[in-house]
Amino acid sequence: MSKDVRPSWDNPMQFVLACVSYAVGLGNVWRFPYLCQMHGGGGFLIPYLLMLLLEGIPLFCMELAIGQKMRLGSIGAWSSISPYLSGLGVASVITSLYLCLYYNVINAWSFWYLFHSFQSVLLWAECPVNSNRTGFVEECAVASPTQFFFYRETLNISSSMEETGGGLHMGQALCLVLAWVIVYLFIVRGVKSTGVVVYFTATFPYVVLIIYLIRGVTLHGAWNGVKYMFTPKLEQLANPQTWINAATQIFFSLGLGFGSLIAFSSYNHHHNDFEKQAIAVSLINSGTSIFASVVTFAIYGFKATFNYESCLERNRLLLLNTFDLSEETISVENVTAWISQLNSTHPDTFSTITDKIQDCSLEAELDTAVEGTGLAFIVYSEAIKNMPVPQLWSVLYFLMLLLLGMGSMLGNVTAIITPLADIKVLSRTLSNETINGLVCLLCLLLGLGFTSPSGNYWFTIFNEYAATLSLLFIVFIEVISVCYVYGLKRFEKDIEDMLGHRPHWYLKLMWALVSPLLLLCLFIFYIINYIQGGAPTYQAWDKHMGKSVVKEYPIYGQVFIALLLVSSLSCVPIAALYAFCRRKTRSAVREEHSNTNTAE
Amino acid sequence: MRVKVQMPSGEMITGFLLTIILLSPVVAQDLCKESKDGFKVRISLKTALGNDAYEWNESEKFLFRSTLAYAMRKKTGEDTYNIENILVCNDTKRVSFIFVVTLPADPTQLIPKEEVERAVRQSKHRINNAFLLSDMTLEFVGVPPTLAVPIQYNTPPWLIVFGVVIGIVAVGIVALLMSTVSKRRRAKAKDAGFDQDGDDEGIVKENGTALSGLNKKDGVYNQAFSNDERFTKL
Repeated sequence: MSKDVRPSWDNPMQFVLACVSYAVGLGNVWRFPYLCQMHGGGGFLIPYLLMLLLEGIPLFCMELAIGQKMRLGSIGAWSSISPYLSGLGVASVITSLYLCLYYNVINAWSFWYLFHSFQSVLLWAECPVNSNRTGFVEECAVASPTQFFFYRETLNISSSMEETGGGLHMGQALCLVLAWVIVYLFIVRGVKSTGVVVYFTATFPYVVLIIYLIRGVTLHGAWNGVKYMFTPKLEQLANPQTWINAATQIFFSLGLGFGSLIAFSSYNHHHNDFEKQAIAVSLINSGTSIFASVVTFAIYGFKATFNYESCLERNRLLLLNTFDLSEETISVENVTAWISQLNSTHPDTFSTITDKIQDCSLEAELDTAVEGTGLAFIVYSEAIKNMPVPQLWSVLYFLMLLLLGMGSMLGNVTAIITPLADIKVLSRTLSNETINGLVCLLCLLLGLGFTSPSGNYWFTIFNEYAATLSLLFIVFIEVISVCYVYGLKRFEKDIEDMLGHRPHWYLKLMWALVSPLLLLCLFIFYIINYIQGGAPTYQAWDKHMGKSVVKEYPIYGQVFIALLLVSSLSCVPIAALYAFCRRKTRSAVREEHSNTNTAE
Repeated sequence: MRVKVQMPSGEMITGFLLTIILLSPVVAQDLCKESKDGFKVRISLKTALGNDAYEWNESEKFLFRSTLAYAMRKKTGEDTYNIENILVCNDTKRVSFIFVVTLPADPTQLIPKEEVERAVRQSKHRINNAFLLSDMTLEFVGVPPTLAVPIQYNTPPWLIVFGVVIGIVAVGIVALLMSTVSKRRRAKAKDAGFDQDGDDEGIVKENGTALSGLNKKDGVYNQAFSNDERFTKL
């Protein structure tokens, strides 16, 4: 009986915090700083903010409007707009399912690192000792302790995708179970439980970011990194890749097209002012990206300065040992001067160590741009282990990553369970809690595959292909159908009914013209990139060399990529065709009935 | 025929002994410098101790020689090793030098390199601590360091934290599910209660149906009579 009444947020603040928690995720921390670094530092903000205005805010507003008006999950909402569009909702649900499968694995890694922070010596600070205690384990000595801990201890990664088997990594599997159990705890009662949780998941990451900002800018050498980031290199603006990356970053960072925003806003009251909320959430999301990149670059600067000074120290020791000079003669500052001096005065002795002398450059250290899991789990861990009291900083950092990831997971899972709960047949036979539990259980069982030794390579497939092209397609169809199938005038009237005023002309212009054009361009660009790029490749970890090597995907990997893309893209035409056929048979049956009636 | 053997006089003996005593450091230096059984030692005091670094002088060298003699005693189990058996040469300003170990029985014979290496590796920790240095700052060139055994735990600490967290979460889920189940049971009991009461209890009947909406505190959301503010504040 209580299922007739749609549950709703306790207050509008919960809805806003849920959207913030969903939109502000790991991408703000590990993708935006990378893009900033690659595309000219402070200058990247220009295309970024422009794209926010052109596509971010309008599309966000549109999805919220649809959800609030239709008061159904994505499948129901799009079916209401047009029966031919139910495939759009299904595509959203399938994409959300793929995302849920692999995104929680990142949370499992965060748990793993978080639990391992409660030790007196962090495991990624030192290499483990080999069996006869004469040195370090070979793989660790060739790479670095943080890389070894990530690739060997955390992932136990195989050297290529073809090497299947090896069972599951028990620690990873346990952490994944924990991650899904916690997700279930957060969504078990739908919005009622989610609404309480988002107060924490949306606000605590900011607390940690502020603490890290203060810690970060007081670190030695942090200023080098921040200065490096903010010096704009405006010539990058001429590169079209900059604009494309800005557009895609805004698009993916806001989480459009998954159906989560539609699901969240479907629990709103009819007259909720979503327009202001959309603008607020989009601005908060972009602001968080910029804030997080300041913190990241402070940490980068610290790490780069540390590495640079270690390099100088190594050179200094080498000079001291070769020339048997007293320790006070060469200091870290005048190493380079001494190198040139000793080269001229004792060239023969110097020639013995010429290949061992390293080129130390702060610029080169700062230039190493890393993104994704490499940044979050390797680079940051390296910086943290050199801070005083590393355990505290490690716990704070991975807790923040967890909350960011969990907050996004809330949205992703809600995008799946809301349309499921709307299906009358399901909700009558099973209670909501059971449906939610079954979804979590299914995702957990499928996700266990990512904990096998070659699992990380499958993870990379999902990360790069599962939710990129299909989302662009979905949102493009969304905008077109709202403006031209449903009708922009009708949509305007609905918004006026909800808000009391018509949408601003700027939004209407974006919906009707600019955003679809932009999305079409991005979609075509992605297709061209796929075709031009040749066979897709991935980075495999070579344990003998201690670094990643590029390998091509095996045939079944490429087939799987194609399947991933096709399975979500094809939902739209298939469902449209199905609806068309049903209409035809229905009208044929109706004609028969009316014929028999008139005949009588 | 009796051969006249001249016994060495006291002067000759003193002279002979003097030569040996004066020559022996030279001999010793030759043993140290030319030997292939010697080890080069490098000490980085400033790097290890910074401002608290002590000066490397004869007394410190004396300490070094005695710790090495100790290491040889410990390895071989013979108490015959003394400080004279450790010879040091090739001092540089870097604070590096070469040392060799002579047999206690015969000061002209050297202990082979491998034995000295084993002795050093066995007592490296004690040697390091005598000088407040570490494996990095007190280097025996060619001797691989003996790294400390990492701490072995019975249960890895991460499992303990994991167990605590998953225990709390499991309790939370069970509590939530129990409260949902009990809410539903209460709702069902109220429903049953209303049906059983019949007409006598004065239940308001509206169009022939019992007003079962009384047991839902939310009621049915009727948009037409919505009291929501027209524009919900942020």
